[in-house]
Amino acid sequence: MKQTYYEKLDERVFETRLPNGLAVFVLPKKGFSQKCAYFVTNYGSIDTKFTQDGKKIETPAGVAHYLEHKMFDLPGRDVMAEFSALGANPNAFTSYHRTAYCFSCTEHFEACLELLLTYVSTPYFTQESVEKERGIINQEILMYEDSADSKGYEDLFAMMLQNHPAKTPIAGSVESVAEITAQTLYDCFTAFYQPTNMALCVVGDVDPAAVAETALRLLPQTSAPVALRDYGEPEQLTSGVREFTREMDVSMPTFLLGFKCPVPENGEALARMRIVGDLAAEALLGESSALYLRLYDEALIDGSFGGGFEDLPGAAMFTCGGDSPKPFAVRDAILAEARRLANEGIEKETFEALKKSAMGRRIRSLDNFDGVCFRLCESYFEGISYLDFPEIYASVTRQEAEAFLRENLTFERSSTAVIYPRNWEA
Amino acid sequence: MDRIELLPGIFFQAAQTTRFKTACFSLHLLRPLRKEEAAKNALLANVLMRGTAKHPNLRSISAMLDHLYGASAGPLVRKNGEVQTCGFFMSFVEDRFALEKEKILAAMVDFLRELLLEPLTENDAFPADIVAGEKQNLINMIASEVNDKRAYADQKMLRAMFANDPGNVSRLGEIEDVQAITPAALFAHFQHILAHSKIEIFYAGSQSPETVAGLFANALAAIPRQTPDEVVIRGFQPVGKPQYLEETMDVTQGKLSMGFTTECTCRDPEYPALVLFNAVFGAGVTSKLFMNVREKLSLCYYASSSLLSSKGVMVVSSGIQTENYETAKAEILRQLTACQNGEITEDELLSAKKALCSSLDGIGDSLSRMEDFCSFRVLAQFPMSPAAYKAALEAVTVAEIAAAAQKVRLDTILLLKGATK
Repeated sequence: MKQTYYEKLDERVFETRLPNGLAVFVLPKKGFSQKCAYFVTNYGSIDTKFTQDGKKIETPAGVAHYLEHKMFDLPGRDVMAEFSALGANPNAFTSYHRTAYCFSCTEHFEACLELLLTYVSTPYFTQESVEKERGIINQEILMYEDSADSKGYEDLFAMMLQNHPAKTPIAGSVESVAEITAQTLYDCFTAFYQPTNMALCVVGDVDPAAVAETALRLLPQTSAPVALRDYGEPEQLTSGVREFTREMDVSMPTFLLGFKCPVPENGEALARMRIVGDLAAEALLGESSALYLRLYDEALIDGSFGGGFEDLPGAAMFTCGGDSPKPFAVRDAILAEARRLANEGIEKETFEALKKSAMGRRIRSLDNFDGVCFRLCESYFEGISYLDFPEIYASVTRQEAEAFLRENLTFERSSTAVIYPRNWEA
Repeated sequence: MDRIELLPGIFFQAAQTTRFKTACFSLHLLRPLRKEEAAKNALLANVLMRGTAKHPNLRSISAMLDHLYGASAGPLVRKNGEVQTCGFFMSFVEDRFALEKEKILAAMVDFLRELLLEPLTENDAFPADIVAGEKQNLINMIASEVNDKRAYADQKMLRAMFANDPGNVSRLGEIEDVQAITPAALFAHFQHILAHSKIEIFYAGSQSPETVAGLFANALAAIPRQTPDEVVIRGFQPVGKPQYLEETMDVTQGKLSMGFTTECTCRDPEYPALVLFNAVFGAGVTSKLFMNVREKLSLCYYASSSLLSSKGVMVVSSGIQTENYETAKAEILRQLTACQNGEITEDELLSAKKALCSSLDGIGDSLSRMEDFCSFRVLAQFPMSPAAYKAALEAVTVAEIAAAAQKVRLDTILLLKGATK
């Protein structure tokens, strides 16, 4: 396996690409008893329209998440019980663009890894078991319906995006999941759960070569072609709708403000734009910014306020938000301050301190096994070498952050989603 | 891990480890949980974090933390049984990653000293505008309990269940108590609790315990020390009769919260058996509640149980359609009866033991979990080390679990119903 030592971070990564196309990463953590493995497919809720073998296929919203629930079924076996008997803690989640299966354990790592690889590569869906899951998934969807955090994001994406499938919630709706059958799940599995569309990463005190050997032994020897995705027409940079408000049973108004950004190419451009966007966010509205202090002192924001750069395949945006008694006053203050910073510039010393701060927090985040393990898989799909960030921080300039604010933080690109308490009077 | 008395009434524990890129420490003032001071304690840590004589506002504090490679410092208010704590948690990158050899730990200990000994004041009071702002933030935070419907239902249920118990004071106090606080009264309270509280400090990181103890002893030497106010820990005092409550809200999913008495706290010898009962019954994805209420009957996305171990109380929560209330409740109680009858398979027992032991083995892999366990031992007076606790869990038999389950009684139910549309 290829190994790379990252001196500034004191971390070593082993990586290889198996003959079937699967990417394997291992980041050894000497002396820890915990081991953590992620098996991730480059497939999520936005991949509903695709072409396979020349055939155009359209699937109901929520199918990636439904599939994640049903992957745990193995003929004649109980995956959860087996993980439990091994003392492991399994989990899985679906995002807009990925589906991740993982476990952490302190003992029996090899057996846990075999189980993970086996169940995620074995499709087994019966109409009966698919029906049975629907009640559970419907309750999960209804739970998100009552969550202001989920609703805020859903409202923001629905406003900002014109064609992009992230307009639709990850889990779909009670109506859309009603259309999902065992056949839908088989179709999506075949289209996207091919080794060449997946990555495996292990973090912990393990033998890297043994991880690759286990994957080679248990997974299919070849990959079928991966389906071609369709995210619709490229997004315009002007936001579709500027404002949307709703009422829920919450105690304080809460808001999310988004600005559409150009979508960077995968690879270094993407890694750089994330760092530039996040530094611009810190300079504009981070806790050490002039704006944060002023808004906090005026009681227009509280400790929940924050923001940064976010991206998906085919969509990118700067978002910020939190609780506020006057969300639109905060939006206007952010727009004005972004203009001022873009014109007058970010102070050199301030920018250097923000870089130091962001770097330090990233270095600390490497103590989080789950976070690193998933990010290494994600970065592979994005053509990024995740642990190269110290070099990017060293080369990023404040002019880039200023240009980011100037180009992206304008009213025309903005959308604001607000959730008010019922009968709220400001 | 040794706990030493650093200064009179100030105790210090350290875990030396070089495996992490982060180091952290926490400092807690231990207070008896009392209605008359709960809101003040919660407010105090937030007011202190707004500024010191040297760093007089949020921006100057944040800028200082930026220079320390994005160190974090935050208020920490905990409640465990009848103990409330007020203090701070700081985490920061290990000194070896500092590009210009800055001493980050030493700087953070010094910042802690500033927070406690050089607060921002005006005329023997905290600045009025800061107190007013943080009062409003705290009121908003207390009111925000309603936003998370699951936690809201559990809290509401527990308030009713704890009506006669001295632990029936919420962690952040009540809105009306926050409203009544004045800048001068808060400052006087601070002077009192700084002198009259037992203080616990916990550090985890690469430096030797002796070095770190020296840093804290120096920094905190000026803290006035007088006889600490007593913190008494008791078990749960029930209302005496089962209660059923319901509330209607405009939600799509109903919430069921059930409180049970267990007659066993983390200080009792039967505690390991109770913990295993809880694991088999409702904690995790192979528990009886998950397997039956969710997987077999498809009634919910979550159904789980948890222990308030200092009080000996168990809470079961589930998100259900309101019309399924009777079915869900009956199934939950049926699974409790099964445990009471000792209907626990070898696999269930083994899985529960493995999960708990593996989690204990993993404590040393996470700084926040180390901090949490140390503080639990002190606050709840939990008598065992992780190793002794693990050995005790491994020795528990099905008969002991059944015996623990037989003492479990349903006490209070709260059903949060969706409004019929």
